[in-house]
Amino acid sequence: MKLQTKLTFFNAISKLVIVTLFVLLLPGVIENINKSYTDDRLIKQKDKLLEIVQQQGIKTYIDGDESYGSYLPLKEEYISLDVAPPKYHLDTIQNEKRMVEQDTIDYRILSHTFKVGKKNYLLEIGKSTESIGETTKPLQNIAFQILIGMVLLTILADQAFSSYILRPLNIIIRTKLVSKKFPSFTAYKQVRTTTSDFQHLDISIHKMVEAIEKAFQKEREFISNASHELMTPISIMQSKIENMFEQDDVADETKLRLLEMQKILYRLKSITKTLLLISQIENEQFLREDKTTTAELLQELYDEISIRLQDKNISLVLLVTDNVELININKFLLFNLLFNLVNNAIKYNRTDGEITVSARWHNGRYQVSIADTGIGIAEEELPHIFNRFKKMKKALSQDSFGLGLPIVKSIADFHHIDISVISVQGEGSTFTLSLPPGTINAAL
Amino acid sequence: MNILIIEDEKALAQELELFLTKNNYVCEVCYNGSSASEKIAVNLYDFILLDLGLPDYEGLDLLKEARQTNPEAACIILTARAEVNDRVIGLDLGADDYLAKPFSLLELQSRMQAIIRRKFGVPQNVVDLDGFLVNLTDRTIMYHVNPVNTITKKEFDLLAYLLLHKNRTLTRAQLGEHIWGSVINDDYDSNFIDAHIKNIRKKLSAFAPAEWLETVRGLGYRIKTNA
Repeated sequence: MKLQTKLTFFNAISKLVIVTLFVLLLPGVIENINKSYTDDRLIKQKDKLLEIVQQQGIKTYIDGDESYGSYLPLKEEYISLDVAPPKYHLDTIQNEKRMVEQDTIDYRILSHTFKVGKKNYLLEIGKSTESIGETTKPLQNIAFQILIGMVLLTILADQAFSSYILRPLNIIIRTKLVSKKFPSFTAYKQVRTTTSDFQHLDISIHKMVEAIEKAFQKEREFISNASHELMTPISIMQSKIENMFEQDDVADETKLRLLEMQKILYRLKSITKTLLLISQIENEQFLREDKTTTAELLQELYDEISIRLQDKNISLVLLVTDNVELININKFLLFNLLFNLVNNAIKYNRTDGEITVSARWHNGRYQVSIADTGIGIAEEELPHIFNRFKKMKKALSQDSFGLGLPIVKSIADFHHIDISVISVQGEGSTFTLSLPPGTINAAL
Repeated sequence: MNILIIEDEKALAQELELFLTKNNYVCEVCYNGSSASEKIAVNLYDFILLDLGLPDYEGLDLLKEARQTNPEAACIILTARAEVNDRVIGLDLGADDYLAKPFSLLELQSRMQAIIRRKFGVPQNVVDLDGFLVNLTDRTIMYHVNPVNTITKKEFDLLAYLLLHKNRTLTRAQLGEHIWGSVINDDYDSNFIDAHIKNIRKKLSAFAPAEWLETVRGLGYRIKTNA
C-alpha cells in the first residue's frame, strides 16, 4: 500500500472512531447537562417561591390547612404546597412518579420543607422527565450529521495535503527508483521539496546511484582493458602456432608438441573468455531484447549438442509439455545456460544413461528442468556448486575448469531465473529453472 | 586479391601477413591509424582487416573513412575489446564481418571466403572428391548422380571447413572452435569432433569409401585431394 493511501486511511479510521465514540457518549452527556440545568431551574423556582412567601406571607398560597397545587395544561410542570407534619424534614431532588388527573407521569421533583410560623410546609416543584429528555434525540442526530460532514471534509483536506506534501517522495520513487534501468543512468535532477527528509533521501539516492555508476563504469573499463591485454597475446601465440604448423620443415614430433601447446592455449583462451563473459553479464552489458519459443530453443540446443550423446550412448528426451513464447531474454546467453546444464548432464552421466529436458507450468511458474541419471552431487557439495573454480571431487578427472555452473548461475541471475537443484548420489541430478513471469509472453 | 592489414600489434600483423601471403593474397600492413588512413585514401583494396583498438585512431572512424574511399572493399573488424556493443556498431557502420580476438587464422580465411562468395558471386563452387561432388554454394553433396542427404548441417560445416583448408591438417581444437565457436562452455577438449568424423565417414561409406578424409595420427584430420 502506498504511504499516502495508508496515511489517509489511518486518518479516516481514527477520526471515525473518535466521532462514533462521541456520538455514543452524547445521550449521557446531554442527559447530565439537562439534569443539572433542570435542577438549577427547580432550585431557582423554589428560591423565588420562598422569597414570595417571605415577602407576602404563606397566605398567598395556603389558607388554613388546604393545600395548593398548580400545573401547566399539558402537565409537564407542577407546583404543590402542603402542610407537613411538624418534625418532617425533606430537601431533595429526585425522579418520582406522580398521579395528576388519572395520568401517572414521571417527574423530576424538588422536595423542600420549610417552616412559616409554627407550621411545617412541604413544597414540591416537578418537571416531567419526558419534557427534559425530548431534546436529546434531535441533538444527537444533528451532532452526528455535523460531525460526519466535518470528518469527510477533514479527510478530503488531509488527502489533498498529504498528496501535496508527499509529491516529492512520489517523484523520487517514480523517476529515480522504479524506472531506473541499470546501468543506464541519467543526469541528476534535483527534486524540488522543502521537506528536509525528502531532500536528504533524494541526495542520498543520487549519491548511491553515482557510486554504483562509477563502479559499473570502472568495471566496464577494466573488462575492456583486461580483455584487450589478455586476448592480444593469446591471439599472437595462436597465429604463430598455426603458421608454424604450415611450415614444411617442421618434424612430426615437433608438430605433436605444437599441438600440445595449442591445446593449452585453447584452455587459457577458454578460461579467459568465460571469465570475461561472466564479468560482462554481471556488468549488465548484454541486452534482454530477444524472443524465441521454448520448443525452438530446445530444438536448437538438441541440434548443437546431440553429437555429444553418442560417446556414452545417452538418450536425450525433450518433453515440451507447455510451449511458450519467451520475451525479454538474451537468446545467446539463455542458449549457453541450457547448453552448459545439458553438457554437464552428459559429462557426469553413466554409459547408456538418460537425460530428460522438460518444459511445463508447475505451481503457477514456468519451469524448464534438466534431469540426468549421472553420478549425482554430494549433499555437502551442493551449496558450493555455483562457485567459481570449485571442482567437484568426482569431477577431477574431467577436462573442465569448474566454470560451467558459475556461467549458468550468472546467466540465470541476469534473467532473474531461479535455479534449484535436487540430487541423489549415484542416481542423478535435476536442475530446475523457474522463469520469471516477465519473460513469458503467451502460451502457444 | 589486395588486402590491407591494420593492426598495431606487430607480431600479430606479421603472422597475418605471412599466412595470407602463403594463401596467395597480396598484403600491405599498417601499424597505426594515421598511415592506414592515408593508404585507404590513396589505394583500392579488396579486403581491409581492421583492428579497432588502435592507439592513435578511433577504429570506427577508420571504418567510416574506408566506407567512403573504398566502397568496394570488404571490411572485417578484428578486436580484442570486449564491448558487447562494438559488434553491433561495427556491422551497422558497414563492416562485413567481425572477429573477436583471439581468432584462428583458418577461421579468418573461412570468413573471407564466405564474403568473397557473397560479394563477388562466385558461380557454383563444386569440388569433386573421388566421385563425391561437394557443392559449397548450395551446401549439398552428390555421389555422381545420387544425392547424399543424410549429412547434417554441422557435418557439412565440418566438411566445408576441411575442404577450404584442403591438404592441411586441422586439429580437433581448430575444428571444434569453428563448429562450437559461439558456445561458451567449460570444456577445453574437443573429442566430440571424432564422433562427427565417424558419422560423416559412415554416411559417406554407404556410397563409397571416403578415403580422402584422412585421420592424421595424433594431430587431427585432413582432406587430401588434387581437385
